[in-house]
Amino acid sequence: MSQDQLADLSRLLYSPVTLLLYVSAAIVCLYSLTTRAAVLTRKGRPAGQFLLRVGLALSWTAVAAHVTHEVVRGLAQSRLPLGNMFEFTSLMALAGAVAGLVYLTIVRKRPELVGFVMLGAAVVVSSAMLTYADPGPLMPILDTWWRSFHVSVIVIAAGIFTVGFLFNGLHLLRDTAEQGLADARASARTGGVTAASGSGDSRGGLATLTAEGEVSGRVMPDEDHVGAAGPVEAERGAMRAAISPLRLAVGTFLGTSTVSWVFIATPTTTMREGITRALTVNLTLVAVALIARWFVPFLPQAATLDGLAYRTIALAFFAWTFGVIAGAMWAEQSWGRFWGWDPKETASFLTWIAYAAYLHARATRGTRGRGAAWIGIGAFAVLMFTYYAVNLVFVGLHSYAGLS
Amino acid sequence: MSRTDSAAPPEANPQVRPPRRGGDGPLGFVWSSVVMGWRWLVRMRTALYLLGLLGLETLIATVVPQEPNVAATVDAWRTGAEGPGTLVSGLIDLVGGYDVYGSPAFLALLLLLFLSLTACLIPRIRAWVRLVRYSRPPLTRSAGRQEVVARLTTSRGVDEAHRAAADLLRANRWRVRTETDAGEDGVVESGPPPQVAAEKGLWSREGGSLLFHLSFYVLLAAIVFGQLLSFEGQRAVVEGERFADTPVSYWTYGPGRWWGEDSHRGWILDLEQFHVDWVRDPLAPGAGQPTLFRSDVEVTRPDGSTRQTVIEGNRPLVVDGMKIHQLDWGYAPLVQVEVDGELVYEDYLTATATDAGHFRAAVKAPSADPDLGMSVFFYPYAPDNEAGEPVPTGAPFADAPLVLFQLFRGDLQLGRTPQTINELDTSALESAGGAWLREGAEVDMGDGVVVRFVELRRWVGFQVSARPQIPYLLLASGMLLAGLWPALYAFRRRLWVVAERDPGSGHTIVTVAGRAFQRPQAFDDEHAAFVTRLARHLDATPSDADDPDRILEPVSEEME
Repeated sequence: MSQDQLADLSRLLYSPVTLLLYVSAAIVCLYSLTTRAAVLTRKGRPAGQFLLRVGLALSWTAVAAHVTHEVVRGLAQSRLPLGNMFEFTSLMALAGAVAGLVYLTIVRKRPELVGFVMLGAAVVVSSAMLTYADPGPLMPILDTWWRSFHVSVIVIAAGIFTVGFLFNGLHLLRDTAEQGLADARASARTGGVTAASGSGDSRGGLATLTAEGEVSGRVMPDEDHVGAAGPVEAERGAMRAAISPLRLAVGTFLGTSTVSWVFIATPTTTMREGITRALTVNLTLVAVALIARWFVPFLPQAATLDGLAYRTIALAFFAWTFGVIAGAMWAEQSWGRFWGWDPKETASFLTWIAYAAYLHARATRGTRGRGAAWIGIGAFAVLMFTYYAVNLVFVGLHSYAGLS
Repeated sequence: MSRTDSAAPPEANPQVRPPRRGGDGPLGFVWSSVVMGWRWLVRMRTALYLLGLLGLETLIATVVPQEPNVAATVDAWRTGAEGPGTLVSGLIDLVGGYDVYGSPAFLALLLLLFLSLTACLIPRIRAWVRLVRYSRPPLTRSAGRQEVVARLTTSRGVDEAHRAAADLLRANRWRVRTETDAGEDGVVESGPPPQVAAEKGLWSREGGSLLFHLSFYVLLAAIVFGQLLSFEGQRAVVEGERFADTPVSYWTYGPGRWWGEDSHRGWILDLEQFHVDWVRDPLAPGAGQPTLFRSDVEVTRPDGSTRQTVIEGNRPLVVDGMKIHQLDWGYAPLVQVEVDGELVYEDYLTATATDAGHFRAAVKAPSADPDLGMSVFFYPYAPDNEAGEPVPTGAPFADAPLVLFQLFRGDLQLGRTPQTINELDTSALESAGGAWLREGAEVDMGDGVVVRFVELRRWVGFQVSARPQIPYLLLASGMLLAGLWPALYAFRRRLWVVAERDPGSGHTIVTVAGRAFQRPQAFDDEHAAFVTRLARHLDATPSDADDPDRILEPVSEEME
């Protein structure tokens, strides 16, 4: 095949094939999560088991398609696909998907959460299309073994950080929901006075459940009552009700805006295009947050999610540290100084500080739990700022976005 | 020391808080302030605040242009020509935002951070050393009440079971403590039963964390001494010319405080040829991107030995411990200027690239009377059109080179106003017309001035640096990573193996109990694997693990 055909093929593999596979894997896995919680098959197994297997198969196929895309793109331009922002974002999604899949299915054996990772991968994969660039050669200054090493470590770390951010966000949602449920139970227990004010059936359902399965004010209805179909529905409602959709949507919109303004400020795009991009990103993430809110009752307990977030972020922190050190070594080779406070270097240091703060907060009494999770969310915003703002807006030695 | 009697009224008991060491005078106040400040510094929360401040400073340094990096942009921000305007600019200046890492606020913050780190580390190191030297795995009173419990039944004796467990644990590098002298029958009224207690991950996790944090001191020391001992200089060299490593031959000279003139090594570098190429096909992907930068050089060491070699973008040349980097390049047209038949200027210009694709340089000839200056635009590719006129393009390859210049006469103000080598201060100069020149041509500008573009070469900007701190920086990085891994991934856990004779059946019941302080999932697997191995060694069968004594406690996922 000629280079042009390979380029076309790589694009085809990326945009409809990989993206659709990620989306369908996400849908199937998430749907299986809702069914396995309560419904049992005739053989007595949770109903979602088969669906989950289908979803996992789809997930691995999506990853395989993504890897094929990377290989074909590499062949089309006769170099590693690590030269511009599109390629970085693509590899970031791949790294996150692989890390999440391996970690959840093989290490922690919680395959039911794969759907969220696939959803995240789909979002990152489509966000890469915002900075799409056709395959092309590389500047000679960038064409070294050191660069490939430094960039791939950094990008993989960013992908794993993204998975950590996902768990952090789910942890915060689930934590709020658990508190809300505990409050709802407490008020249901304090008597029929409040029951009159609420909608009758849901209150009744709650009241029947207050007696059992409560550990230090927190609850895990799905794990305690597998198969007990009836009143669980009311609990789900209470958990969802604890998270105000309006506040969640506005908060996500504002939070995303801390990074997405970059698309408006990018000098190479028009104002109109920039606003469209920023709004697309914001609204997509708002939609994802609302979807996640709906799935809150099916999530594992907040403490589990917190642990997952910590584990992933710890691994990514190690990789990031290693990547930054490798970057300094490359800078010494290439630019004749190991550290020059170039905007990108400064920003990667800032990201390092932010995640170090997360790890320290998690080890500190008083900031553990929600406090640490919020720092983790902020750290991810810093990471995205490092990635997008410094590449697109601030001029420095790392201006390699490949956009014109 | 007197004891506290809880039955007596408070006045009768000794004071809980010892008297102030410095007494009650002003010295005592100072002392108590120091103690309070130290206590504040030791707190983790303080460290978090300081980290947050460091993050804020770094954010400013990311968003605001920094003077050491881009002085011109900072000037533009200060004058309001670029950036958010003079008001904001003044505010930024007020907090030292244009040179964050050189500002007193940053130095103060760094000092506080290191103080806080030291305050945290001293007690931790003491505790760790004590732990490593003296700690023994604690015994358990009731193994059945631990978080993870498994039971085995075997026909082997109690002592044999203990011995086998201890051997297995030692082989897996657990720290093992055996207590077998608790009584013949294995049941003691008060006190733990005979058992094998083991612990793992006790030193490595905390030790890794300490190593990680200690690496910052190495890093700081390497950076400080590096500032003092290092050298960095730049110099542009035209093809066919040479330069020697002596203090006077550098154009920019940046020695550390302890770098002396005799620290130079005195080698000589000849630039024979510089190769540069681009993707020339305008339709190819990445058209116009450079594909090759290479300098062919010859190095002559002080002892007279010579070496032919190349310097490329990512391949600096190391000579006697000094690194030579190829930083930038440009075209070097040889320009001659004659005034009334007398040569007033002859030199290779070091024309630097502009964003528009052409190259800029300046001619300064103070020996002419009045001073003569030329503002030079160099176009590497300016082919002729049908009328024979050159058409300047932005293409970088020198297939149709063209020198375009504007001539000035008057006062160059050399040494009186700040101007770089390629800049002309035209405030005291008068324009005397302009012209263009092809390679090998000359033009008569009238007034007896003749300008010649003799030949075209290229120049390369070399950076020479000596950084003795690099091995120490690598050492610090190695410590950082080597400490970080166990700090994040080592986990502390304990195991107890208690073998007891079951009077009813005559068998030995072996209880394998465990507790993980972090990462309970990983520990569950490890525990199960150990139980399987122990069962194989003792020909044991698992018995019902559920014990009425066992308390089901919810274990939070992570406890670090």
